[in-house]
Amino acid sequence: MIAAALLAIAVAAALIGALGVWLMRDAYQKLHYITLPCSVSSGLMVLAVLLHEPRKAAAGKVAIAALVLFAMNAVVTQATARAIWVRSEGRWPPRHPPPPAPPEARG
Amino acid sequence: MSAWMAAALGLCAGLVPCALVALRARDPFDRLVALEMAAVLVSLALVALAEAMQRPLFLDLALTQALLSFGGGLVFARTMERWL
Repeated sequence: MIAAALLAIAVAAALIGALGVWLMRDAYQKLHYITLPCSVSSGLMVLAVLLHEPRKAAAGKVAIAALVLFAMNAVVTQATARAIWVRSEGRWPPRHPPPPAPPEARG
Repeated sequence: MSAWMAAALGLCAGLVPCALVALRARDPFDRLVALEMAAVLVSLALVALAEAMQRPLFLDLALTQALLSFGGGLVFARTMERWL
């Protein structure tokens, strides 16, 4: 029962992340939503497997996969954001700080 | 249907918005972000499927998918930064 509740929260977080990738305006905003499945969903799934799975080796594999996803998210997100910046501005690191967002982008 | 199978189906449903963005977005970086999100969702869905079917072998697939999507995301980002 507890594992099912953890799974439900994990799936809900992953779906919110997927909807964020769909609905957000540009790639910088979309990048933030990968964090949800990489951190919340993967962590909750590790807990659910630990509660559900009698074989601890299997739970260890899931924990390693979740750790890879968690670490991967930071590296790939930074690399992607840097690639977007280089494509639009031409060089890295930025010579000047980016200009403030226009009022309509601030919500 | 077990909770694990329902979770796998829910995670696969999350692939639909990723596919829409990857197929229809104009900015190639939007498509790249959708691809990265889809890779994460597939890794988690493989974990849920492995538990649903009681097949520990599928956990290796999930781990492999997570590792390969890490390298793939980096290669795509660097390639699109410099050459595309």
